Amino acid sequence: MSERSPLLYVFLLVPVGYLVSLIGFPILYNLVMSLQEVNLGNIDTLWRPFLGLQNYRDALADPTFRKVFVNTLVFVSANVIGQVGIGCLVAVAFTRDFAGAHFLRGLLLAAWLLPALVVGTVWKWLFATQSGVINYFLASLGLIASPVHWLSDPSMAMTALNIAHIWFGMPFSMILIAAALTSIPDELYEAAALDGAGVLARFRFVTLPAISPALLAVACLVTISSLRAFDVIFAMTHGGPLDSTNVLPLFSYQASFQDFDFGHGAAIGMFAFVIVFAVALLYVRLAYREQEL
Amino acid sequence: MRRRDFLLHGAAAGAALANAPAFAQAPKTVSLWHIYNNDSDMIHLGIRKFHEAQTDYRIEQRLVPYVQINPELIRAIATGSPPDLVTINDPDLASYSSQGQFTDLTDRVAASKVIDVNKYFKGPQTSDRWKGRQYSVAREVNTLSLYYNVDMFRAKGLDPDKPPTTWSELAAAAEKLADPAKGVYGLGFAAQQSEQSTFQWLPWLWQAGGSIDKLDQPEAAEALGFWADLVQRKLTSRDVINQPQGDVMSAFLAGNSAMVVNGPWELPRFRREVKFEWRVTLLPVKDGRNIRASSLGGFHFAIPKGAKEVDGAFRVIEAMSDPALFREGWSASGLLAPRSDIEIADPAWPQAYAVFREQMKTAIQRGPHPQWSQLSRPIQTAIQEALTGTKPAAQALKEAAAKIQPILARTPL
Repeated sequence: MSERSPLLYVFLLVPVGYLVSLIGFPILYNLVMSLQEVNLGNIDTLWRPFLGLQNYRDALADPTFRKVFVNTLVFVSANVIGQVGIGCLVAVAFTRDFAGAHFLRGLLLAAWLLPALVVGTVWKWLFATQSGVINYFLASLGLIASPVHWLSDPSMAMTALNIAHIWFGMPFSMILIAAALTSIPDELYEAAALDGAGVLARFRFVTLPAISPALLAVACLVTISSLRAFDVIFAMTHGGPLDSTNVLPLFSYQASFQDFDFGHGAAIGMFAFVIVFAVALLYVRLAYREQEL
Repeated sequence: MRRRDFLLHGAAAGAALANAPAFAQAPKTVSLWHIYNNDSDMIHLGIRKFHEAQTDYRIEQRLVPYVQINPELIRAIATGSPPDLVTINDPDLASYSSQGQFTDLTDRVAASKVIDVNKYFKGPQTSDRWKGRQYSVAREVNTLSLYYNVDMFRAKGLDPDKPPTTWSELAAAAEKLADPAKGVYGLGFAAQQSEQSTFQWLPWLWQAGGSIDKLDQPEAAEALGFWADLVQRKLTSRDVINQPQGDVMSAFLAGNSAMVVNGPWELPRFRREVKFEWRVTLLPVKDGRNIRASSLGGFHFAIPKGAKEVDGAFRVIEAMSDPALFREGWSASGLLAPRSDIEIADPAWPQAYAVFREQMKTAIQRGPHPQWSQLSRPIQTAIQEALTGTKPAAQALKEAAAKIQPILARTPL
């Protein structure tokens, strides 16, 4: 079709050029590094020993890598379910428009605005075994007999981290879902109520189907941002104890910037990239579907 | 302006410039990357004095946060635009110098009238060298000693003039001082899963007669077992496995830990935060062994390969190695001079100063080894496993040894 003017391609050159040079090139460079042996001696040249897939094989053979990979999956799943689920419930609660709703919503958003390092540090203090506020409240409510070792017990640390990170990211989901909720016409709820549907049934049959495209899109976005989580974990636990909160981005950072084995770090990064890419593709597909609907 | 006027003005300016007399060359810029965001650190005084003393060079400083100095330097090296001068942490030096990323300073140091290498402590001397050549110059040193709360000692009937000198005395004192009802622990140390725990544990390993290449031997197991035992008996909080040294000191200052193992860089906090009488003493030795040892830390100046102003950068290093600056460094930031001949007439925290200087005589550097991080990480894992009770200390260390020994076989310490 000659309806597309050639000027269109000239204009397209700018965003495509930007994407290729600033996003595509680093990813390609990372892929190349992951196939080489890169250390402090040859980081400044492109000519490095070719290792093929050795970095990947080393990663898969490392039991710590397997633990980190599983941690990442657990962390991401918990965050998606937690952030989207709680965000959805909170958003629905706010449609009720009670006194102080605006103020409370603003307060919740403030959590999301905090720098990640601050969030990690504050939650570290909250979860401290002896002097932490959380143990204090749990004990005074009679819910625990002795202080819980939130961050010094390898089996509890991930739970503590998830709580902190879900708190941090939930406002984002809440805002997006709240926006989707406003597009549901009130007549649908009235009709359902007239048909005898209770609160839960209205939620299941009116609200959920209407916001499911938005829910899925939010879930994809939360997945992607969880796969990049670094600062909160670095500040809260440094990946410990015993790598129980170590995730792929932090592990890749440790390999590259502490062990100075950049090829290995790049390979670990590629694992995270593949997952993020798959999820991002899914998100784009869903976004298209939402447009067409 | 009309074109003719413009040309006339241009010609006049050009003639003036060509005749410009005493301005000679504009000063050359030496780019310095350092981590000292504390305004009172001696580096700022050093920069001022350098500018006052000469006009050939001007320092352009860039502040880089402590955790980012390595990534930033690596990025600069990778893109071919390194700074002229950079401050690097002690255990990382060998990684750079073994790969040829630092300029060889041996001849310049030998010819220098300011830097007398023989006056430096053995520890930083060793870290500054790789295969017989010198690649960096120590800026400051620090080490670990035992802080103790004198008020708590007196309250529990312990004599503050006779602090623990052996491990068994330390454990006994910790037991007396611990007060679970008030949330007070006897002893604190840092066991976070990072270089901090290795830094804190190595003195105990060395004092037990162990060494990094022999972690599968009983001496190492005794050293780690001592730590694990303290945690198990609740004389040390389990939370130490998540605490860096700053948090451990916070616990001491808040009165939650009667004694802590820590370094002099924390002393400036005492100006505002301490509410009790305190002292420092040498790290207790192991009963029967009497080997005195502690860790060595500190930052060093290095000139990356490819720096444009090598001569200028070295002159800055000389300016920063002025003994007058070292005296300032202690009072401002609790940083010790890397030279054994520096005396401060009226130091801040005199009791602590005397103890840390004494401890410096037996401070041992980590490595130097180009893969120090890969030696340190299995040690961190073993510490965490033993302190959480996941594995007995001996087994945890055997597994760490299995990871460390192949690396040491390729490149010995």
